[in-house]
Parts: sequence; C-alpha cells; structure tokens
Amino acid sequence: MNLQRLLVDRIEQRILVGVLAFLGIMVLVGWIAINEGGRMQAFERQYNARSVERGAALFTANCSICHAVDGRGSPRAPALNSPYLFGHDFLAENTSERAALEAELNAEGLTDARRDEINARLAELETERANLTAQMQTAVTLGYDPEAPSRLADLGWTSGLYNFVYTTLVHGRPTSGAYWPEPMAAWSQTAGGPLRDDQLQDLSNYILNWDKGDAWTIEDLLAVNQFPIVPGATAGEATEGSIGKDTEIAAIMEGLAGVTGDPQAGQAHYSDPVFACTSCHTVAAVAPLLEGTWTRVQEQRLQEAQFAGYTGEQYLAESIIHPTAYTAPGYQPVMPDYFGDRMDYQVLADIIEYLKTQDQPVS
Amino acid sequence: MSVLPFPSFLDDVKEKGLKRAIFEGVNEVVERATAGMNLQDIREALRGEAASRKPNPRLQPHADGFWLHMRPSYFHKSVTGLYPSFRLGWLSTYFVFFETITGIFLMIWYTPSPEVAYANMLNIMSNVPLGQYVRDLHRLGAEGMVLIVFLHMLRTFFTGSYKKPRQFTWFSGVILLIITAFLSFSGYLLPWDQLALWAVTIGASMAEAAPPEIVGTNVNLLLRGGPDIGANGLLRFYLLHVLALPALLFVFTGVHYYKVIVHAHSLPPREENIGEDTAKRVPLDKRVYFIPDVLTSEIMWIAVATFVLTVLVTWFYHAPLETHADPQVTPLGTTAPWYFLWLQGMLKLGDKTLMGVILPTIIIVFLLAIPYLDTTPSRRWAHRRFAFTIAFILLAALVALSYMGLGEFGVKTSADSEIIHEMVKEPAHNHMGVLLPVPFDQLVSGMYTTHQLEALPGEEADVLAAFNEEVQQRPDYSTILDYMDTQQHLALTGGLNFAPIPADAPELNAALHDFAELLEENEGELHEPWGAIIITDTQNNLKRVDVIIVWDEVEIDNGHPVLDATGEPVLVIDEATGEPLTRINSQHIFIHRDAQYFQAPGA
Repeated sequence: MNLQRLLVDRIEQRILVGVLAFLGIMVLVGWIAINEGGRMQAFERQYNARSVERGAALFTANCSICHAVDGRGSPRAPALNSPYLFGHDFLAENTSERAALEAELNAEGLTDARRDEINARLAELETERANLTAQMQTAVTLGYDPEAPSRLADLGWTSGLYNFVYTTLVHGRPTSGAYWPEPMAAWSQTAGGPLRDDQLQDLSNYILNWDKGDAWTIEDLLAVNQFPIVPGATAGEATEGSIGKDTEIAAIMEGLAGVTGDPQAGQAHYSDPVFACTSCHTVAAVAPLLEGTWTRVQEQRLQEAQFAGYTGEQYLAESIIHPTAYTAPGYQPVMPDYFGDRMDYQVLADIIEYLKTQDQPVS
Repeated sequence: MSVLPFPSFLDDVKEKGLKRAIFEGVNEVVERATAGMNLQDIREALRGEAASRKPNPRLQPHADGFWLHMRPSYFHKSVTGLYPSFRLGWLSTYFVFFETITGIFLMIWYTPSPEVAYANMLNIMSNVPLGQYVRDLHRLGAEGMVLIVFLHMLRTFFTGSYKKPRQFTWFSGVILLIITAFLSFSGYLLPWDQLALWAVTIGASMAEAAPPEIVGTNVNLLLRGGPDIGANGLLRFYLLHVLALPALLFVFTGVHYYKVIVHAHSLPPREENIGEDTAKRVPLDKRVYFIPDVLTSEIMWIAVATFVLTVLVTWFYHAPLETHADPQVTPLGTTAPWYFLWLQGMLKLGDKTLMGVILPTIIIVFLLAIPYLDTTPSRRWAHRRFAFTIAFILLAALVALSYMGLGEFGVKTSADSEIIHEMVKEPAHNHMGVLLPVPFDQLVSGMYTTHQLEALPGEEADVLAAFNEEVQQRPDYSTILDYMDTQQHLALTGGLNFAPIPADAPELNAALHDFAELLEENEGELHEPWGAIIITDTQNNLKRVDVIIVWDEVEIDNGHPVLDATGEPVLVIDEATGEPLTRINSQHIFIHRDAQYFQAPGA
C-alpha cells in the first residue's frame, strides 16, 4: 500500500503515533472550542430550568401557606402570580392608540373630516376602556387600578423585577405587619432568615417563571385573590372620623382644642405598626430621631423667622398631617402624607403629648 | 575594522554573507538552549542516525543542562519496552504536571468560600470558554492519577522491584500513593455541591474516630475548622489541595525519582541471577540513549494519554456537579469516592475506630514495610508464591470491600422511602430517579396508579373505574386527601380519580412499570401496596409530579417482616377500628421542560 511505503516504513512508529495523538488533541480541542458557545448557553438554560424546579419545591414548602400554592395570594399575603406584579397593562393598546390620536388632533392642518373621525374613534376607545375596566371590576374592588397596572411603577422601583423579588426575599418587609396579618419575614441567612442566597435565587427564578409576557388574560387578573397594598394610594380611603389629610392647619388646631392628649396613649400610637413611626424615626440618617424632639422644636425650629407665631403643638401637628409643608434641615421630604386620613384628633393629640415628653437636652 | 565602532553581528554578515551569518547565529542559540546540541545534532538524532561528532553531543544536555540533569543519559534495552514498566511511573509523573497545569487554570476562576464557590462552578460551566473541558480534564486526570499510581505500585510488587537495594524507593512510592489519594479527595470538597459536602463529611468523620478520643475530636476539629464543614473547612481543604499536599507531592516525587535513578530501573527478573542487581552495569550493546529514543517515546506516551483523556471528556465523561451543598439535607446512599470505597466497606463491618482508623493504619504501615519484611533475594515469580498469595488475597479483599462500600450494599432505610427515592432522586453518582428522564411531553397531567398494570390489555379503563370506586369507599380516603393537602400542599379538590396512561406516553408507562416492580419486590415489608403518580401543571413549562405509596403496615422485627404460622406477614391492627393500619408516604418533584435529564450511559 502507498501509505505503508510512503509513511509507515519511513518513520519511527512512536513518532507517528505521537504526532497523530497530538493532531487528534488539536482537532478535538478545536471541535470543543467551536461548540463552546452553544454548550455554555445550553448549560445555562438547563441550570435555570433546574433552578426553577428547586424554587418550586422551596415555594411549596415555605411560601405557599401565605401566598397560596398557585401564587394567587390569600388573605394572609398578596398574589405573586399576578399581572400586576409583572406590570402587564391590559389597557396598553388602547392607551397607545389614544395617545397617537390625541397627538394627531393637536397637530396643525387637520381637516374637519379627519378631526371628526378621530373624535369618533376616541369616543369608541373610551367606551372600550370602560368595558375593559368593567370586566376587571372584581379586581378593581380588591384594590387593582387598571390605570396604574405595574407594581414596580407604583412603588417607584427603578431596578428590574428579579431584583425586586430577590431583595424582598432577602430582607422581607419589616413594616408589612402594619397592613397584613403578619409581616413578610426576612428569608436570607444574611438577614437572619433560614435560606441560603442560592435558594433565594431559585425562588426568584420560580416566581419570575409565572410571567406570561403578553399572554396575561383578564381571567388571570380575576383569579388573583389579593393585591398588594400601594403605600399612600390605598390610604386614599379616609377612615371614619379621621382628620382628613387636606384639612387646613388652622382647622386642625381648632379640632385639637376640643380634646386632651394622653402621653401614654401617644406612646402606644407611636409604636403602633398602623402608623409605623419607628420604621423611619430610629435611624438618624433617614429621619429626625424621637429623642429630644420637643427641645429641638422649642429651642431651634421655632426661633426661625418662618415659624413666627407658631406654637410647638402647631409645629408638630402640621409636621404630621402636612409633612411636605416644611422639612427639618438636612432631610428629604419623604414622609408619607396619609396620616391625616388615618388618625382622628384624639390620636393626634395623644401623639403630640407624647412628643412633648421628649424634652431631653440636644447635644 | 568592524562595521560599527564595536564588534557586532554586522561584522559576521560582512564576512560570511547574511544567510550564513543568520544560520550560524541560530545554530549557536540552539546549542546554548539545549546545553550542547546544535541543529545538525538534533537533525541526526531525529533521523535515527549516529552522532557525527565527538564527544557525543547527545550526552551534553544531561551533563550541562538543568532539565535533563536528573534523567539518565541511557537506559538498559530491557526496560524501555512496554514490559516491565508499562510506562506507569512516567505517566504518574506526567499526571503530576497535568493536574498542576489544569488546576492552575481552575484556580483563576475559583474562590474558596461557601458563598461563592458553587456560583464559581456555574460560571466555569456557563461562562468560561473551555471551562468545562479543563474542569473535566482535571477531575478525570485526578481519578486517572490515583489509578495509574496504584497500578504502578502493583507492577513494582509483581516484578519484585521493591527488593534490595530499592527498599526506600518503594517506601517513598507508598507515600506518594497516599498523597495522591488525599490530593484527589481534598479536591472533592471544592465545588461545594452535595456530592462534595457529604463525601468529605464521611471522610472527615473517620478522622474523628482516631483513638484516644481527645486526639480524634481535635484532629476532626482541625480538619473541618469547626464542628461542621463550613467556610473554615472549605478554606482548609482548599489550602491542603493547592498548597500543602502539592508541596509534599513535589518533594516526594523528587526523592522517589532520585532513588529510581540512583539504583537505575530494575531489569525484568528473568534477566538477572538471583540476588544480583545488574541494572547499573549496562553493556554497550544494550544501551538505549535517552536522546532520541527514550525522549520521543516518552513524548508519545503523554500525547496518547492526553488524547485518551480528551476523547473521554469530549464524549464519555463529565465531572459531576450536583446541587448546592446543604448541611440540612443528607442524600440517601452517599458514598465515598471509588478509591475509598474499600474503607467505607470496612466501616460497615464494625467499629469505627477499629475499621476506620486502626486497620487502615496497619495496612499502610504494612505496605510501607513490605520491602523490609520480605527480604527473600529472588525476584522470580516461581520463588515468590507466598508473597503472591498474600497479594492476591489482599486484592480480592480490596475488591470485595469496595463492593460492600457501594450504596446498594448494607444500610437501608424503610422500603417505602427507598422506592420513592428510586423514583424521584436527583442526579447523583450517575443515577437519577426513574421519573426524571421521562420526556416532558410525556408527562401528561393526570392521576395514574400501578393498579392499572393488573388489568388485561384493553380493560384498563374498566379496572380503573372499579378501583376508583374502591379507593373512594376506603375508610381512610379522607385521610389520604387530607395528608396530601396539609403535608404535601397538593389540594386534590376532585378527589382521587385514576385514568389509564395515554398511549403516546410510553416512557411514563415504563416508569409506572418500574414503580410497580419496586413495590412487588418489597411486598414483604409493604403489604398489599399500590402506588400512584399524580402529574399536575404548575407553571408554564413546569410540571409537578407526586409519587404516592399506600400500604398496610406489617410488624417488622430487626429489619425483617414477622411471619405467622402460615408464612403470611403479621399485620399491625389499628386499635381504634380493629382494621389493619394503613400507611401512606409521598414525595413530589418539579420538572421543567428545559431541565434535560438524560439517563447516564450504562445506568
């Protein structure tokens, strides 16, 4: 054979074998390298799939008691398998068409015929919108607002949904005990919870796997048992006998004149999760501390020209009911303005009396 | 008069012409780099010709160069073939460097901390080009190295090469074998997956058994860095793996090889008179020079070895990676790495201290002492019957003990747990639950029962309808539903309603057959059992699979069912109702469409 004569007889066998083995290695490594991109993607897909599986097991064991096995929520906790969490806007098409037509309407050089056409279509869209909203009525009663369909947008959360879910799992919601039967616990071991971070990633992957993208239906929305509470927005329903968050300060002072505050009751209100004062006023970087409040009001704030004619009580009352009227120096106006809807004059008077006991000297 | 104001290469060019000047310059560099061989010498060596100048330039690299100073310049013709060495010593040496190099690549991507170690593995697998390849090579190389070093020791024993004057060479070789095993084992923990954590937990718990108690406890604490293996333990094993053990390995490799060269490779036993050692006296006509013959042969061997490893990791082998280490979840059937299975087998035979520490120590001391115990001069097989008998008895014991170390042998949990585990276990040790590799499309939502298999073909629907009625009449029917709801979080609002497995789901059907077979095999312990598989849709691309076993409890004594006079098992009677006590056990898994569970080849 030619190969025998030309190659095998002329070369030491060990050199031939060694060279062939070396070439074989090169070919195989090249082959592996060429397929590496696809292999890495396949591994990631497979790993994510198995992560969802583990997340499902964790969810069933740990979360399903409150959030329900199907993730649709229960009286104990809000739904996660919900178009609201994933920010699906059922009115999106309608909104975008309406916006386009309105823009056209405002443009110059429109014929009357076209204007009428647009107005007719706008009226149609409005009806459609009302119909859609009517279909969602069950959810609306539970607190869903079709005009504000995204949980993340309602919260002003600027990062993605995965991070929202993951950080919620890590830290829990310490103050959510104020509006749910029990607060969302911190689940991460780093925050004192029972689960490792990789397990929280599995859980987040599982929860995000509920996403249906554009395929969410109104049936899905209606199947939701509980919607999360939007801070501020849902507090729009004023409780019976409350002061009202828009009441003028003069009227508030008149109302306060009729009641006598009790500092002990005030202390109880102050630590009541309904008001959750302690969740902010315990970290000096976030909000002024409780200690020395009355001293600071008397000795510092009321000395300023803008508070001429104020009493300490009025300063405190206005700070609580109209927190954006003015802000203590060095702080951002981040205090919610719904307290006027959540307390009556007695409670406000109690809290003010309690704050008046905070007359420790200011360092 | 030179071209530049000082002597330079240009003078050579001027004198000899460019081509010749360059050739001579290169030739000189090559001769310096090889410590003695110029281009012509290398050419002659590779062509298989004799050296054309004297003194023989092929001996110079051994005399003047660093890299070959410890390699002999020639070998005896009788030791350069496949027999007697099988090149196992050279391959062991190669694996030391192979593992070092692949290990360094892996180190670049690795942090020894429980928080990130597992994520590092995922990153290597999903984000590092050739990451999986290098990891597979390192892992396979580690296992291969243990095997090669062990075979090397066997070969040395059978050719009697441990005898005078090579006693200490053997001694240092046994130390290398031990270091190799511990290097391989210490690497086990680093991926921080379930396999790692539990294999090492078993291994470290043996150290705990070292007597007296105060020593064992403290050795264990030192090794683990705490009562349990955590961040400290991982760091310690990492440092052992990348620092302490490799340092020892390099030192003893040097000692071992130095001894090999000092005494030269022992000749095949038949070529020497009994009691003589002529390896150092190589007649001129028996010499095979290192350059070029031994060198090229060695390069061929490592090229072939690397090629074999590459073929294996391309198609046949991938380093295992199980789920994240979880100290709270002990997997059923955890085993030590295969080269420690014999130890695990011994532990099943008796006391942890005796079997796990004292006996292994005696074995190691015995291995180390072999050349000093066996001082008979003859290396011929016919004269070593006693030694060979002992060796074969020990090898047989090694195989038997390793078999006993397998998870299949010995310690069992209750039959129902074993069966459920067999159905749903996560992939581990190349095995996985029967249900995992069922194609996703065949996991049709519904309720299925092993009772279906008792029906004749075509009558399944009728038999199952009757069975459904029977189940719903059971006094414990509501208990079963309640158990599924509260313990398993599966609300069976429509009750239990079994249907035949669809015809287009043959693999699900096969899994049901396996399930039924497992139940049948354990009918002694599980009286009149029936099993159910319930598949529900959970999410997009995600199914939940529940495996349920219901049976009548029988009395168990010492792991075996108690039989009455007629040979029937004695049932446990519920005192409240007077009926046999029924038991239920269940476990569920989730399966995602992209999870890609494939049955391992040969499993």
